[in-house]
Amino acid sequence: MFIFAVLVVVKLINIQFVHGNEYRDLAEQRTIQNVIIPANRGNVYSAEGNLLATSVPKYDIRFDAITPSAKNFEKHIKSLSDSLAKFHGKISSYYEKALRKARANKNRYFLLGRNLGYSNYLRIRNFPLLNMGAFKGGLIVEQKTKREHPMGGIAQRSIGYERFDEDENVTRAGIEGAFGEQYLRGSDGRRLKQKIGKGQWKPIEDYDQIEPKDGYDLYTTIDVNIQDIAHHALLEQLEKYKADHGSVVVMETKTGEIKAISNLGRNKEGNYYERLNYAVGESHEPGSTFKLMALAVALEDKVIDTSTVVDTENGILTYYGKKVRDSKNGGYGKISVAKAFEVSSNTGIVKAIHNSYTDNPKKFVDGLYDMNLQNTLDLPIIGEGKPIIPDPRIKNNRWSGIALEWMAYGYGVSFTPLQTLTFYNAIANNGEMVKPRFLKEVKEFGNTIKSFDKEVINPRICSPETISKLQQLLKDVVEKDYGTGNGLYSENFSMAGKTGTCQKDYQVKGKHNYISSFAGYFPAENPKYSCIVVIHEPDKSVGYYGADVSGPVFKKVAQKIYTDTPIIDEINDLEVQDASIKTNYENYFEVAQKYKTIMPDLRGMPAMDAITLLENMGMKVKVVGSGKVKKQSIAKGVKLKSKKTIVIELS
Amino acid sequence: MFLSALAVIMIASSHSADRKVYEIANLKEEVKELRSAFVEGRQKLMQLKMESSVIKKLTDKGLSPSEEPPKKIKVKTQN
Repeated sequence: MFIFAVLVVVKLINIQFVHGNEYRDLAEQRTIQNVIIPANRGNVYSAEGNLLATSVPKYDIRFDAITPSAKNFEKHIKSLSDSLAKFHGKISSYYEKALRKARANKNRYFLLGRNLGYSNYLRIRNFPLLNMGAFKGGLIVEQKTKREHPMGGIAQRSIGYERFDEDENVTRAGIEGAFGEQYLRGSDGRRLKQKIGKGQWKPIEDYDQIEPKDGYDLYTTIDVNIQDIAHHALLEQLEKYKADHGSVVVMETKTGEIKAISNLGRNKEGNYYERLNYAVGESHEPGSTFKLMALAVALEDKVIDTSTVVDTENGILTYYGKKVRDSKNGGYGKISVAKAFEVSSNTGIVKAIHNSYTDNPKKFVDGLYDMNLQNTLDLPIIGEGKPIIPDPRIKNNRWSGIALEWMAYGYGVSFTPLQTLTFYNAIANNGEMVKPRFLKEVKEFGNTIKSFDKEVINPRICSPETISKLQQLLKDVVEKDYGTGNGLYSENFSMAGKTGTCQKDYQVKGKHNYISSFAGYFPAENPKYSCIVVIHEPDKSVGYYGADVSGPVFKKVAQKIYTDTPIIDEINDLEVQDASIKTNYENYFEVAQKYKTIMPDLRGMPAMDAITLLENMGMKVKVVGSGKVKKQSIAKGVKLKSKKTIVIELS
Repeated sequence: MFLSALAVIMIASSHSADRKVYEIANLKEEVKELRSAFVEGRQKLMQLKMESSVIKKLTDKGLSPSEEPPKKIKVKTQN
């Protein structure tokens, strides 16, 4: 007995003093926790303040099939199955079977709905059985924060996301990716908390505690209305031409603000969704839209003029054994450079450039460099495609004997849609090249933290004379009835732009596809917006010309913006003073005041006034003819009896 | 006596602190719910008022967007 007592004491001492610290630490670990308080991520807004991305709680609803009593389970299973079936659009017996199976298998974690929004969560929470709560009904609710895009799939890729995997690696896409770390994330807080039961933790004093700092809100330049139209116009054309993917970008000419950016790609089922940011990331051969750059260099160097005549021969030119063909069989004969551009004659432009630069191709390349075409736009969005321009001085296997001629009509060079658009926008903006931008302001609780202004890449890419010639060319592509863009012409509003139909994968045998594009701006005078539409791999049996495939998207956007901007007429004054009306009125007023019972002289008075006068005197009036009073049946000065009929003749 | 009174006060205040923690947790939950209700409502509204959805709804009734922009007459009066 005594030995037993001694052993107890020994053990006590052992626990208390030998392992004491260890156990005390363990106890502290169980009840005290260093809790990270997550910061709320900022929202992303459109230019007018519509929510584009925000964090919302989402709910997973599960069911513990063991918890409800057998009585409750049997009583409610029928109505619960009915409700669930209605909710998910399935049949009731399916759910009844599944729920019974879950109970038989002792499933305490049966999934009823995943990623539900708040109103759906409320609905499911009020279903029979589940409305009895966690302990009687077996309802399990798990909440997590998700990034939500209230606009749906629109511009999703450009708004982007930031995604963390288990190793804390981040995938960054679009605006959220570009500005996440800097503005949206905020910083997490940290403080000590003690366990107090019911799964709650109480904060305790801690001198190292850090308050969480919520992320800032981002106001983008995106205009929801333009975005909506651009998205649906693009979608319609993609579906019509069964194309692989496409993008459309609308940019404000003066400021470089991106008003709309839509990128749609096709999935295996043939549906389109925001797949990749093609407009930013995909560098491709531009084809005919590059003829504008080629002519800009040549016009700026004054080696050709728009009136220079070139011989397109039979529509086929051969350089170093390679052929340059026109889309029109037989070519266009001898035409001016302007017309070659407007009908998009490959041979015409190639010949003009070949004749001017074949002795010194470096000069042509330098001309392109002078217009900042070799540089990326240095966009904040990650993954911008790099431009490619072959240079005879750089040995990278890009230069060849035919490189100059190929470049002239947009092969061998490569740009992203946004880079091409930036150049077209510079032409629209009278030579000032502005950087496309996505952000307007950074705000915290509605207060501006930082606002962004336009950034100029190059204040003057070429001379005003060159600019006005190029603007005229782009305008004529749409306006002249032989222009490739004439199908888009509208009497109501003006547009200017260039079509592009570019062959893709021509090196690969058996694979022959097209890139149809349209780049330009509107209105043709004092442009407000520039826009590029690029559609890859349209179904050739439906059509592939840039004007047919991509042009309509451009036109729809232009038309939309045109019909949304009211035409304002200003007039100085509403009070129109007309001398004859004034004398007539004064005359009438005088007579009306003077004559009450005696017949006045009505001759020369307008019929309207005469009738009013007489009827006010209580007479009946019979009118013959129209105009002014010529004759009256009762002479002037005769005293009138009431209800007498007076005939007036008018002329 | 005094010490035990102090002890009672201490226990009472620690309980009231605990109660506040529960209250805060409940309110936070409520804020989250209201927030998601707000976002959901906003989302519905935005999708409804988008021009493309308005166009879709009204084509059945024979209405389509105007080809011509609205005209606005602005009067510059002196007064």
